[in-house]
Amino acid sequence: MNSAVNVARMQLINKWTFLGIPAVIMVAAFLITLAIWAMIPATGVTVYSGAVQAVMWYFLALGVQSLTLTFPFSQAMSVSRRTFYIGTVGLFAVVALAISVLYYLLGLVEVATNGWGLNGQLYALDWLAGSNPVVQILFYFITMVALFMIGFWFATIYRRWQATGMLISWIAIAVVLIGLAGLTTWQGWWPAVGQWFVAQTPLTVSGWAALFCLVLGGGSYLTLRRAVP
Amino acid sequence: MNSQITPAVELRQVTKTYRDAKALDNVSLRLEGDRIYGLLGRNGAGKTTLMSVLTGQGFQSSGEALIFGQRAYENDDVLSRICFIRESQKYPDDFSAKQAFKSAALFFKNWDQAFAERLVEDFQLPPKRRIKKLSRGQLSAVGVIIGLASRADITFFDEPYLGLDAVARQIFYDRLVEDFAENPRTIILSSHLIDEVANLLEHVVLMDGGRIIMDDDADSIRGTAFTVAGNATSIQSFVAGREVLHRESLGSLASVTVQGRLSEVERAEAAELGLDLAPVSLQQLVVRKTMAATDTAAENDAEVGALK
Repeated sequence: MNSAVNVARMQLINKWTFLGIPAVIMVAAFLITLAIWAMIPATGVTVYSGAVQAVMWYFLALGVQSLTLTFPFSQAMSVSRRTFYIGTVGLFAVVALAISVLYYLLGLVEVATNGWGLNGQLYALDWLAGSNPVVQILFYFITMVALFMIGFWFATIYRRWQATGMLISWIAIAVVLIGLAGLTTWQGWWPAVGQWFVAQTPLTVSGWAALFCLVLGGGSYLTLRRAVP
Repeated sequence: MNSQITPAVELRQVTKTYRDAKALDNVSLRLEGDRIYGLLGRNGAGKTTLMSVLTGQGFQSSGEALIFGQRAYENDDVLSRICFIRESQKYPDDFSAKQAFKSAALFFKNWDQAFAERLVEDFQLPPKRRIKKLSRGQLSAVGVIIGLASRADITFFDEPYLGLDAVARQIFYDRLVEDFAENPRTIILSSHLIDEVANLLEHVVLMDGGRIIMDDDADSIRGTAFTVAGNATSIQSFVAGREVLHRESLGSLASVTVQGRLSEVERAEAAELGLDLAPVSLQQLVVRKTMAATDTAAENDAEVGALK
């Protein structure tokens, strides 16, 4: 356990990677959004932005980078794969949780200031803001973890099987998706699928995403167990 | 030999097969602790694979690789006692050398920061420059410093001198010997600059084609072969019945490298025949042994081929 904490400390030796760059991205995305809103003639209509996503995509890249460069280094530091995994994913979960709470708090500010004085919706999206605070935080948190784990797992697959692994993974994903779409069409399930999507709430989406994260997390770990630096 | 003591390193019939080749071919090895070992052999002989398998970074196809009697793979107790910096070690993209040392300090319990700082000066390493912007030699120096200052119970150096100039290499050898004298531990140094490291090795393991073809104390190896030069006919009778490692001839003169030790009587006999005797350096011996092993392997392969 102690060495897992040390892995997290190692990841934080360069503060820029896990803390600085996400902070810059969040501030920049926020300011750019405000600038755009300010340019739109005020018509009393609510304006929306998806800028909260910006930092989430960075975490996808960070997941890749943690594995490709930090994993071989951690092996040289005599860290077991298990410890590296717990330390890295654990650190990321803490960072993701902090950002999720921050998003929730910014959402409160947004509502209180009538959308930053511009009638905008950035953090307190209608669909989400009505939910319980815990659900809101959970939703952001799970989404970020999922993106990080996707990056991490793909990088692990690449580490172990190189381009062949990537190729097979993507083809398999495509085949499964096309198969599902074909099955849905063939069985005439599309209306039901549409209803199902409409019926989802932030809580149920978080639940499905959490399940997805568990699969990603387990898959990443099993792939990493036999990865060679 | 006392078999009760757990060896620092032990391999039992370890084989590692890649798709088309055997990187390790049924290797068994046993190394006692607190000595400096040389792991010698040509590129592709299996040195890096052997170290990867031992440290749990790579995987063997069969057999057992043990450190202090245990597998290193996913074993934090054992891992905390070893340090293995690869020849092509990767570092986090934005790390400086200083940051790499900072993280080494987190994981190696015997880490000596003062020693690391002294080595940084010795190697004239710019500690704040990003590692990816360092020259090849400076990159090697980072690995060497981590290996030395970690003071791990077993430290593996995999061709640590790549890109290091002669002065820097000498600094490495000097610091290694000095620090070893004060802090005895097990050092396994893979190298193909054999003459350079010959003096600091206490024991030599020579690999070729995934096999260990020599495993002996450096002192006893140095006397195990000699070169005899002089008249080809005289040499022919002198070396008859001995294991010849290498033969060169020019006209009626010949020079033959022979395995074995010479008695006083034999030395006198050589002098009488007008033959010159010379010791063989470790490097020459390694070259001769390796080439002899390759020839034998080739002959065996040819025989197998003929039988098919």
